[in-house]
Amino acid sequence: MYISCMPVVLPILLIVLTLNQVSSLAQNIIFEEIAKRADAARSTDHLNEAIALYSEGVRLRPSWPDGWWSLGSVLYEQDRFTEAQAAFVKFVKLQPDAGPAYAFLALCEYETRNDDRSLQHFQAWAKHGSPGTDALLDVAGYHWALLLTRQGKFTQALYLLTAKAKKLGATPLLTEAMGLASLRMGNLPEDYASDKRELVWLAGKAALYASLDDPKRAEEYAGRLMLRYGEEPNVHYFRGTLYGFQKEQDAAAEEYRRELQLSPQHAPAMLELALIQIDDSRATEAVPLAKRAVALDPENPRAHYVLGRALFDTGRFQESVHELEIAKRLAPEYGPIRFTLANAYKRLGRIQEAERETAAFLSLKKKEAGSSTPEEKDDKQKQTGQPQ
Amino acid sequence: MMMPGVAFLALSVAALFSQNLPAPRGTTSPQSKAKSAVTKAASFEQLSQAADRARDENRDDDAIRLYQKGLALQPAWKEGLWYLSTLLYEKERYPEARDLLRRFVAHDPDAGPGWALLGMSEFQTREYSRSLDHLQRAMALGMGGRKEMAQSVFYFVAVLRTRFEQFNESTGLLIAMVKSGQQQDLLVEPLGLAALRMPLLPAEIPADRREMIRMAGQGALALEAQRQEEAQRLFSGIVAAYPKEQGVHFLYGAFLLDLRPQDGVAEMKRELEVSPFHVPARLRLAEEYVKEEQPEEALPLAQEAVRFEPGYAPARMMLGEVLIAKGDLAGGIRDLETAEKGAPQTVRIHWDLLRAYTAAGRSHDAMREKKEIEKLNRPDARQ
Repeated sequence: MYISCMPVVLPILLIVLTLNQVSSLAQNIIFEEIAKRADAARSTDHLNEAIALYSEGVRLRPSWPDGWWSLGSVLYEQDRFTEAQAAFVKFVKLQPDAGPAYAFLALCEYETRNDDRSLQHFQAWAKHGSPGTDALLDVAGYHWALLLTRQGKFTQALYLLTAKAKKLGATPLLTEAMGLASLRMGNLPEDYASDKRELVWLAGKAALYASLDDPKRAEEYAGRLMLRYGEEPNVHYFRGTLYGFQKEQDAAAEEYRRELQLSPQHAPAMLELALIQIDDSRATEAVPLAKRAVALDPENPRAHYVLGRALFDTGRFQESVHELEIAKRLAPEYGPIRFTLANAYKRLGRIQEAERETAAFLSLKKKEAGSSTPEEKDDKQKQTGQPQ
Repeated sequence: MMMPGVAFLALSVAALFSQNLPAPRGTTSPQSKAKSAVTKAASFEQLSQAADRARDENRDDDAIRLYQKGLALQPAWKEGLWYLSTLLYEKERYPEARDLLRRFVAHDPDAGPGWALLGMSEFQTREYSRSLDHLQRAMALGMGGRKEMAQSVFYFVAVLRTRFEQFNESTGLLIAMVKSGQQQDLLVEPLGLAALRMPLLPAEIPADRREMIRMAGQGALALEAQRQEEAQRLFSGIVAAYPKEQGVHFLYGAFLLDLRPQDGVAEMKRELEVSPFHVPARLRLAEEYVKEEQPEEALPLAQEAVRFEPGYAPARMMLGEVLIAKGDLAGGIRDLETAEKGAPQTVRIHWDLLRAYTAAGRSHDAMREKKEIEKLNRPDARQ
């Protein structure tokens, strides 16, 4: 039966195959033509036509990465962020190693208020080495900093913004962003109260000129800020950090104390004041302050680190190790924690662990040479580079 | 939430623009099309008519729902995008209006009113940078003779320029609005903010600053109307009431320089005591010293101004003028050329260069500057 059917089935099969091949060939030709026309439309600035053609192209061939990339880019140019975001999502699925796409995706997600996703994609972009044009670096770095501010990661935000300020100068957008981060306001420029605008502007100007190594101009704005808004939360804390940049530790300590009078639960002011006391060989005074900061903010690695340092300096090595181990668990990539922990282990005679932490510190130091935050750099400056 | 005082500027946007739009398209399906397409077209036709009818009858919520349905069938339906965005804007649903307007201007990038409404929506969603870009684009494209719309756009551009620290540009625009007869009450605070160089929107003025800012704005208006006595009273009053505030001595000094130059110079110096980095005060002082043939006094002021604001064209211009006054023609030309790159629309820089090139015997360059001046002075040269 099977054999007898063969002469009939075979020609049909051949015809079917041929038709399929023809159809596939035709589809290829159509696709190639659409892709060509889409690129031409884009290069001649016929963006709507380009969008229609790229959309058709990716419908015919959903695995066409260039199509998704171009579609996303053109939609992004038109500020059509929801649609652009969808295209970039498809693109990064097809080309997970294409670094710049993560920045565009994150920017779209910023605009569509998917903040968590946006932050994840900015981080993915950074993991790929933050590739892209100068313009992309500026826009992405700025928006990433805004989101970090909103998340309460003020130091990281200021680190990014300082780099931008050094490159771009005192722009109004950077001023506002730096003002929000400096005052520890977890807001975006679009969503803080209107009556805070002057406060944010004055703080932003002071922070910006401080970051541009222009302390006199920073001082002028800081003075006006104090005069106008000296009773607002975080203003004295910020003033303290400015004094800190200028190595005026006594003045900085005074500002932190005033902040604590206004905001008795201000853990960052406690920590900065404790650090000044540690540097001033008054670690005994620093211990209760750092303990209060830890109680207020138990998940803050810096709080445990400062307490660990204060305990170390008062010779309480066992307790110091305890705090520093918590700090290490919370922020394993933070070099100064590993450095102090190595020293604490050494004092307890735990040599192998000390050597492990020293190696970790040196490795982090090498890795982070060009990417540490100002806070870390400041801490590193206070250290000699090698554990004692 | 719309800014107080400007609500009238944005009312009835749909009515303002409707005259410019083509009539809704008839969508007769070709006989060769599939039946479903015919049904879809008919359904779309019915929807668009119903939506228009609802809008005409002020049944806004119905109209919004119908336009949304129509756009679901035909996403590129220009009239639908337009009318739906205007309805949403009037309902203060700004993010939705903004997203639709972005699609609208993508389809019609030459529609000035489209960019205008987009910029105004972005103003309301506090995307100020984009808002300014789009409103300026609207200004460049024009708004087809719609006076109220143009007034709104000018107002928003002026206040945004102040917020972006473009105080001179903002002042110029606001004065042009005063001259064109716009309601002055609305312009007092924007003028005061620009004059005092405070980068705030009127809605962002702290309560305890409002009086000072209003006095500055009223003084600027009095000056513009050449009501000298009133201006004198307001400016001296503001200096007396707020002697330690940045910008008030500068404002009074600028007023006095034209009347009693020595008093003006004294006020400018007081401004520099209050705000040691005040660039415009330095520039006005330098200008006065050049006028009084004291270029040695002017030089350090102009040099400091350039050091404080290296990208600020007026500072470069002044340094160029001072250097030329001191006899350093080559140095002056160099700075003027830098200033020209930063502010190619500033006629004064071209005049300076014309004179400097002529003095240097560079007749070809001088001729080029002359042509540039003629071009800039043509009535159609600027918005």
